[in-house]
Order: sequence, then structure tokens, then C-alpha cells
Amino acid sequence: MTVLQANDIHKEFSEGEDVVSVLNGVSLALAQGEIVSLEGPSGSGKTTLLSILGCIMTATSGEVVVEDEEINTDDPRVLQEARKRSIGFVFQQYNLIPALSAVENVEYALNIKGVRGAEAREEAERVMTEVGLGHKFHAPPRDLSGGQKQRVAIARALAGRSPILLVDEPTANLDSQTAEQILELFRSLARSENRAILVVTHDPKVRNVVDRVLTIRDGRLCN
Amino acid sequence: MIDLARKILLYDKLRFFITVSGVGFAVALVLVQTGLFLGLMDNASITIDHMDADIWVLAKNTPNIDFARTFSDAFVNRVRSIDGVKRADNLVVWFIRMALPNGVQEGVEMYAMERFKEWGMPWEVAEGQLEDLKRGRFVMLDDSATKRCGPFAVGDYREFIGKRMKIIGRTKQALSFTTAPVAFTDLRSIQALTPELEGQTTYIVVKLNEGADRERVMAEIRQRLPHTDVRTREDWSSGSRNYWVTSTGLGLQLASTILLGCIVAIIIVAQTLYTSTMEHLKEFGTIKAIGAGNGHIYGILARQATIAAIGGAVVGAAITFALRPVMMKMDLKLLIVPNVWAMTFVGTLVFSLSASMISFRKVAKLDPAMVFRG
Repeated sequence: MTVLQANDIHKEFSEGEDVVSVLNGVSLALAQGEIVSLEGPSGSGKTTLLSILGCIMTATSGEVVVEDEEINTDDPRVLQEARKRSIGFVFQQYNLIPALSAVENVEYALNIKGVRGAEAREEAERVMTEVGLGHKFHAPPRDLSGGQKQRVAIARALAGRSPILLVDEPTANLDSQTAEQILELFRSLARSENRAILVVTHDPKVRNVVDRVLTIRDGRLCN
Repeated sequence: MIDLARKILLYDKLRFFITVSGVGFAVALVLVQTGLFLGLMDNASITIDHMDADIWVLAKNTPNIDFARTFSDAFVNRVRSIDGVKRADNLVVWFIRMALPNGVQEGVEMYAMERFKEWGMPWEVAEGQLEDLKRGRFVMLDDSATKRCGPFAVGDYREFIGKRMKIIGRTKQALSFTTAPVAFTDLRSIQALTPELEGQTTYIVVKLNEGADRERVMAEIRQRLPHTDVRTREDWSSGSRNYWVTSTGLGLQLASTILLGCIVAIIIVAQTLYTSTMEHLKEFGTIKAIGAGNGHIYGILARQATIAAIGGAVVGAAITFALRPVMMKMDLKLLIVPNVWAMTFVGTLVFSLSASMISFRKVAKLDPAMVFRG
């Protein structure tokens, strides 16, 4: 079942008097349980596309459909609701909150999504255990390795059971062994949790775990 | 729900301590200045407030209780005969020179009546009997006179305008805004002491019968004594205080200090929250990307401002309480009034929340897409 769809997405930015086209008619679809990578050189539009698919930014034209709902508005509240309901993010720099422990980082994401109290704590601990960090609940981010931080970031994205995971360069700051472990984790999550995962990456190793590879160049998908 | 506001604040404990200390000092500045002002104002009308009189009759244009002017003491009879008047008496408030044992002269503010006790004056007699004032050239001196006039004991003699009078009692808490020591004597004694007071008084104090119409009695007094001012106790009390506020610039000084304290508090909270927000901008962007709206973000910033305000208010209150005994030793009255404290706390909270708007504007315009940048 398709959970995320982009149809003929165009995005332009104004730079002074110039208008720069970053995306030129991108269309893609992502299904439940599928893991897809998006590759492309720097400046090809990957991050912009990720932002639009993630309802962080709106397209100049075209439509984004999330779980059969068309998200086509500049209303920040509509975008915010879509992110809250349907999308989990894993950021390249992890973006963990240093003032919170590992499990609190996950629990807080659940709080934002409307899950509170004991229910949030239990769910946070469950996903932390699922990503292999059952022994690191109370560790602050500064005490975690790069791979462990990435796992916390993944747990945060998984919490709340968002059907769509958008992942930005998950292996960029990891050694090769840890990177392989993380990629394997993504593959197993896509299957076991039936999530749709889109991975933006420069890392060729990602191809080993994905179902499909999309390549973007100059704002257009090449395949 | 995870209290992110508190956790971010306490993550950098040193900064939090500095913020709370800064707000605390600003709050203490306001509380101490206001407390000292109220203490001074309390002195300005303390005798009026304690005297059991409903109406005061005074010479026209008398500015306050201390700077009295004279009129005939026979006028009191015109007041006593008014229907509704329970009792009326002359009260003289006059500055007299007192010689100290070392020969130095000090000004003393003398209160003189025939029947102090019926009027509840003085309200705290530590030694001696008020009735004894009528028995000779006797005086009761307030304990606060010790600071300017040196120690004294009941039984001592002092010269007042060259005439010996015996100290037969000690009072407490009778104070004047002028800081002159306060003394009490019989009306006839002071009139004998000072020729210009012969047949004169400075005030007529009036107590009404239960249920009497105060406005009617005041109108009647005004008709019978057209060359005097007739004031209610409350009006005369506030008038005496207001004189010092306006004529000395004290009110302006207090207002300036309060304004300064408020500005300091706002700046400290705004600066702390702003630098903290800038340092945590990526986290706020992440929170937005996850699905939090601007309202959620403002809730975090508002809670941080509230924690800083409450922490600062507690520190400020502690500093003020600690300073109180120190001030008392310097004969400065630091009045702690619940209304002022409540207003200061609410003001601190409002200013802190306003200061947090500066940070909120920054975060509200934050582009969540920034979370994808390194």
C-alpha cells in the first residue's frame, strides 16, 4: 500500500532577483514495508525533496499525498499535523536534545505526538530495546557513541508508530562496522514494523539493504 | 510529560544560577526600596493612624502632621457641642529644643494633650503612667530618641527651652518622618513652656458617636470654624504622607528605582533566554520538525521565564528578609506588605514572560528545514 506519494513536484527559490529551480517535476511513491534510497550529488535537490516529502516545506507546484491525504498547503498547522501523525525523521547530526537522557529523547517525541505519562515511557523503552539500547535508557547523549546516538535517533523516529521514516545520511558520521549495523537495523525495521523508509545518502553501502534506488540529478529523478 | 523547559534551564547550572541571582537582586532592589519607602511613609502618618480620632480639625494649609500651625484652643468647645460628637480635644504638635547632658541641643517633636489615654496615644507605653503627665512638668520620651539624644532613664531630667522637665515614662514606636525624637507631655505643660502656644492649639481631634453621620458633622464644623480645614482621618493620613512624596522627590526616586529594577530583571531574563534559545536553536528546530507547533515552543520558553521569575522572586525575598534586621539596626524601617510582594512577584512574572517573547520571535520564524543542515 502506498503511504507516501509525490506528483510532479516543482520547487523554486528566490535568490535576490533570480529564481532558482531546485526541483523540476519529481514524482515518486513509497509503499509500506519498502526501503528506498535517494542518491545524488550535492546540490541535486535531495534535501529539498526530503523537506517537501516530510511536510516541512511546501512545493511551488505539484502535490504530496501522505496516507491518502493530499498535503498541498502553506498552512503551517496542516504541515505540522501531517508530520506529527505520519512522519518520523532521522537526522544526519542525530539532533538529540542534550538536556534529556536517551529514553527521555524518545519519550519527548511521543509527548509531542500526544502520548503522555506511563504509556509514553513504556513505548519509549520498548523502541529503545528494539534498537538494541535497552541498557542505555538513562545515558545522556554526551555519553553515547555515534552509533548509539544514531540508534536513539532511530528509536525517536519509530516512537509514535509513524508509517513513514525519512532518513538523512544515516551513516555519514559512522565507522563502517557501525554503519552496517545501522543499515541492517533499517532493513529489519522496514520488514518487522512495516514502515516505509526513504534514505537520502551518498553511501553506496546503503544499496545493499534497500529495495529500490532513486537517483536525482539537477532536480530530476533519473530513474 | 517531560519538562523540557526545566531540563534545558538546569542543564547549564551556572547560567541558571547567574540568571536567578540577577533577577533576585533586581527583585530585592524593588522590595527593599519600596519597603524603605513604606517604612518612611508609615512614620509620616503613624501617630494619625494610631490615634482614635475620626475627624481632624487643623489650621488652613497645614501641609502635614509635623508642620502644624496654631489657632485658638477655645474652638474645641464649638466642636464638642455638635450633635454626633462623642468627644473632642485639643492636640498640640510642636517642635521644642531639648538640651542633652553634654549641652548639645536637639529638636524634639512634642505631642501634648489633656487626655492621651482616651485617644489611644501613645499606643505603646513601656514605662510609666500616662495619668502622671498631668501632675507636673513631666514628659514621656520615645525609646527611638536614644539614637539622637543618647540613653536616658525614667527619672532623668532634661531641659526643654531652658526649663527642667522630668522624664517619667518611655514609649515605643512613636516616630516622625522628620526623624526628630517624639515626646509626650500635658497640654498645659507645653503651653506654659512656650509663650506662643498660650491659648493656642494645633489640632482638634474628634471622635464620633456610634452611627453618627461623619459628613454632616464635618459640614457643621466647617460652618462653625470657617478658617480651619476639616479632614477625615484617612484623608489627613494620606495627605501627610503625600506631602513628603511630592515635596522631597521621594516618590520620583522610588519610581525610578522600581523602573530600574524592572528593566534590570527584563534584560537579565531576556538575555539569558535569548542566548539559551540561540544555543538550542537546532533542538527547537528538531522539535518543530517532529511535529510541535509554535504554541508548544512558546510554552517551553514561557515556562523557562516563569521558573526564572519564581527562582528570582524567592532569592529576592530571601535577600530582603535578610536585610531587614540590618536595616532595623540602622533605625530604618523596612515594611513588608503582602500587597507589594504580590505585585512585585506578578510584575516579575509579567516582565519575564514579556522578555521571553524576544526568544519566541526568533524560534517562531525558525525554518524547520534547518535541521537537515549540518
